[in-house]
Amino acid sequence: MTGSNTKLYPPLHKRLYSVWYRHVRVYAKYLLSNALPPFLEPLIFLAAIGLGLGKYITKSMEGMRYIEYLGTGLLATTAMFTAAYECSFGTFIRLERQKVYNGMLAAPITANNLIIGEIIWAGTKGFFYAFSVAVVLVAFGIVHLPYCLGAPLVGFATGVMFGALSLLVTSFVKTINHFSFYFTGFISPMFFFSGVFFPVSSLPRFLQPVVELMPLTHSVRLVRAVCTNNYRPQLAADLLYVVVFMVVVSFFAAKRLRTRLVN
Amino acid sequence: MSTKVITVRDVSKTFGRVHAVCDLSFEVEEATCFGFLGPNGAGKTTMMKMLYAKCRRDENCDGTISVFGFDPRAHQLEIKYLSGVVPQDNNLDEELNVVQNLTIYSKFYDMPSVRTNKRIDSLLDFLELADKRESKIRELSGGMKRRLLIARALINNPRLLILDEPTTGLDPQVRRLIWDKLGQLKKDGTTILLTTHYMEEAFQICDKLLIMHKGRKIMQGTPRNLLSENTEAYVLELPRIEYIKIRDSYLLNHTRLEESGETARLFSDDMDTLKAVSDLLKVGCFHLRQSNLEDVFLKATGRRLNDRQ
Repeated sequence: MTGSNTKLYPPLHKRLYSVWYRHVRVYAKYLLSNALPPFLEPLIFLAAIGLGLGKYITKSMEGMRYIEYLGTGLLATTAMFTAAYECSFGTFIRLERQKVYNGMLAAPITANNLIIGEIIWAGTKGFFYAFSVAVVLVAFGIVHLPYCLGAPLVGFATGVMFGALSLLVTSFVKTINHFSFYFTGFISPMFFFSGVFFPVSSLPRFLQPVVELMPLTHSVRLVRAVCTNNYRPQLAADLLYVVVFMVVVSFFAAKRLRTRLVN
Repeated sequence: MSTKVITVRDVSKTFGRVHAVCDLSFEVEEATCFGFLGPNGAGKTTMMKMLYAKCRRDENCDGTISVFGFDPRAHQLEIKYLSGVVPQDNNLDEELNVVQNLTIYSKFYDMPSVRTNKRIDSLLDFLELADKRESKIRELSGGMKRRLLIARALINNPRLLILDEPTTGLDPQVRRLIWDKLGQLKKDGTTILLTTHYMEEAFQICDKLLIMHKGRKIMQGTPRNLLSENTEAYVLELPRIEYIKIRDSYLLNHTRLEESGETARLFSDDMDTLKAVSDLLKVGCFHLRQSNLEDVFLKATGRRLNDRQ
């Protein structure tokens, strides 16, 4: 009767778009409270450095003024944090408390579509947060146009990496309290040791390979290269890491989370 | 011959060691209302979820499911596109208002915005929510939320509407309103599948009923047939202590007794017999009535709670 060859349902890109659209609409509903912090946070951070800590750090780091070094690092960390929160606490609440996914999965989208849409949304938030920080950095003359316009793209990639990773973590989590292990045990150390505050090369030699395994390290390197328009051949390795990480972790996140959405 | 929208044969579903659904088979004809009736944990929701691939049937059984000719294992998107689902719990987006909740769902079906706006207007009228267009979700009453969930499920003009306990927890007015609306949809050709605990609801709106218990089909048929084939026409309800006083009466020879807790029920097809029995009793301590689907249901599924309830 209806089993004809013409497809009834929307094509893949429309299905992914519809998931993304849902998140954008919910986020945009409280635009003021949602969109102000990404601008305020770097302001506060830079004020603390510029007015206080910065006076004590006079040495240049990897050839940059400290405020420039730290400011460019923030472009990556802000994308990391927003994506990590969105796809851990945010996803868990949608999954377990609000049952949002139950409703969405009754519409013509598959569990995989939903998960990939979620990851693209995390990337979008990474893009927007990195953009906000870039605006602040440009306003204070810390980075310069037009190079820093590439920073939101690295923010997007960072958002995708941490969105996928957080979904993978969420697939294991039984109660929302378990996320403290992820944030205290993984995200925070990465924030401090991935070359945001000081160069990786100043860490003890045995720790350096561990830091190279961390996704944020590569985001930070990429975003600094983009902002200073200084591309070294080693960056190819960072880029490769980011691409492989996005694909592999998204694959496992989808594989594991799928069984929780469809049982 | 009428068209079969859903055909399910020998389908099972196991969660760990729990057999949620066992060898279930049924068919649903186009533009009819089919009801699943059963206690909590009977497997009604699981069965419905298997139809739209929210739940996967057991791999190792030979069971088959066909919805509009599609197997949900391979063609979930086709089935979902043609169906609307009203879930048991409210999963509206609290952050958004009434219209926005519907708009978001129109995107899932890739509806053009002109059509969406018209459709939303007519749905809000249909479910009597037109003056709540811009309201926040938390300002809505339970009955309004449920009506909005129904509107959301109807956004793409589904040919099959699946409802999981659509009127649980609602007041009698809203319940009747929902029955009316479901009746209208059916008249317009929509096939309706629902679960319910309410016998009256099942009796009023379902053309066919399937009573489930512990994952198995217990009985199936039209509400009227289930009633006439499985229980006597009348029942006299009385306290057990009163029953003990009269139990040796010869009048009771032609009645069937069911006891549960402190209540005894005497069933008979002959109203006069039960009237004669009631004459032996004090006025006001008994209740003589027509038997209903609830009597069939309780007879079929047992009067005591089971471990899944």
